[in-house]
Amino acid sequence: MAYQHQGSAGAEDTLELLAFDDEFDPLAVDDSEIDQEWMDDENPYDTIDYPTMRNMPETVHHDPVYSPERQGSVTAALRALLTRNPNRRPVLLSIIGLCEGGCASSVISERVEEWQRDNWSVYAPMTFCRMLERAGALTLEMPETTEEQEDAEEGVSFLEIRETVDPVWRSTDEALALREEYLAGTAFRNAVINAAEARYAEVYIAVMEALAARPRTVTEVQELTDTFDITKSPRRFGQHFLDVLEDTDCAAWSDKAWNLTDLGAQMLAELKAAKEA
Amino acid sequence: MTAMIETTAAEDVNLVDLMNTRARSYGMLGRLFREEIDLATLRELQQMRFPQATGNAAVDEGYHQLYDYLKRAWDDSVTELAIDYVSTFIGHGVNGYSAAYPYESVYTSERRLLMQEARAEVLATLRENELKRGNWNEAEDHIALELEFMQRMALRAAEALADDSEDEAVAYLRTSYDFLQNHLLNWVPMLVTDMRMHARTLFYQGLGQLTLGTLQEDEAVLRELLDSVA
Repeated sequence: MAYQHQGSAGAEDTLELLAFDDEFDPLAVDDSEIDQEWMDDENPYDTIDYPTMRNMPETVHHDPVYSPERQGSVTAALRALLTRNPNRRPVLLSIIGLCEGGCASSVISERVEEWQRDNWSVYAPMTFCRMLERAGALTLEMPETTEEQEDAEEGVSFLEIRETVDPVWRSTDEALALREEYLAGTAFRNAVINAAEARYAEVYIAVMEALAARPRTVTEVQELTDTFDITKSPRRFGQHFLDVLEDTDCAAWSDKAWNLTDLGAQMLAELKAAKEA
Repeated sequence: MTAMIETTAAEDVNLVDLMNTRARSYGMLGRLFREEIDLATLRELQQMRFPQATGNAAVDEGYHQLYDYLKRAWDDSVTELAIDYVSTFIGHGVNGYSAAYPYESVYTSERRLLMQEARAEVLATLRENELKRGNWNEAEDHIALELEFMQRMALRAAEALADDSEDEAVAYLRTSYDFLQNHLLNWVPMLVTDMRMHARTLFYQGLGQLTLGTLQEDEAVLRELLDSVA
């Protein structure tokens, strides 16, 4: 197959203007002197000049949204992070638990994928760890990298990576304490048992017992809550009760249905006792 | 052609292997420019062996920078590299100087615009060689596609050599050489200079150097092969 050059006359002109010649050394280009006036003429609608744009990655630096510096303490930062990411709270709390005493990144990645099988997130497992690290809930321990490994074959020497790094994440004491607080059912007590929601106690008990019997769909929960007069005025839909149970870690979505968690089972017993008292 | 065969015999070079090696190199470079790397690709790269002292300064620097980055890379590096890919090749400005734009048109048009004559020329070359862009939604003069074109030509040359169709193989080599001269080597040095300025990780710094060095070396290889049949 014969090759024919397809360049047009115009293209040749352009290529000639920017032709690659033997003496051109791209690494020797001195871009430290920038003619802003020329650039303004070239780009009259530019609002940001070239040097500013070039430095922007260094100068535009955002402080973490959830950090001890911003919220005042590790506990406050972590609580804010968990509150603002309700759907990720179970995973974040599980990571904190997993990292008690230290856990390798590869193990965390594997477990997070498993935990999120029914509740997928765009966040990568390590992004969660970074979020927790910024909030002061985790610390990262980077292992030492191995020395360069050389190998030679047919007179050519090669560098090889024989051992990849697998950093370890470790939970802080504040994070573990706050996790205990969440796992102890404080959120459910504050939201239901010791709050205005307590007037719906019989509805919560019915829903939680139904979930304990077997996983339920939203429709099934809706049908159940509609049997109570108290949900008719003001109107309370089944989803409301599921939202509260999910927010307090008493219910979780899995296998296309709502399930009662272990904490939910404990809180069900406590709610029943509180109602009878 | 006879001269080529004699040269080959004298230097004990298996041209089919050489073409396949070239294709693999171009394929890897094209993949790294095409999109952000995922964990599987990262792990694959960590299995690589990185040659030292190849005789080309850019290749050596590129390999060493990639090695230095990859030996410390872990799961979180995928996110770091994704961020760096965006800041290196996409940027966040509209003035044409906010990133190392991976399109030939940007570097060969007066106002640094996309879809200029370079793209039309590459499109024509692709059609001439019975190729077209697949379901990848970028202009034909994207560096990944230009590198993939070189990969395809190397694979075709290897196939032709394996079939003893030497005239056909030489035609593919000429096409590769001309494309290298008229396109890749015409703008990639400038792209690499911009990558040096915008890339924050050693990975993309190294990728730029490795690409530049690989193109320089391949130009020498192709010139030598074509001189031998002139």
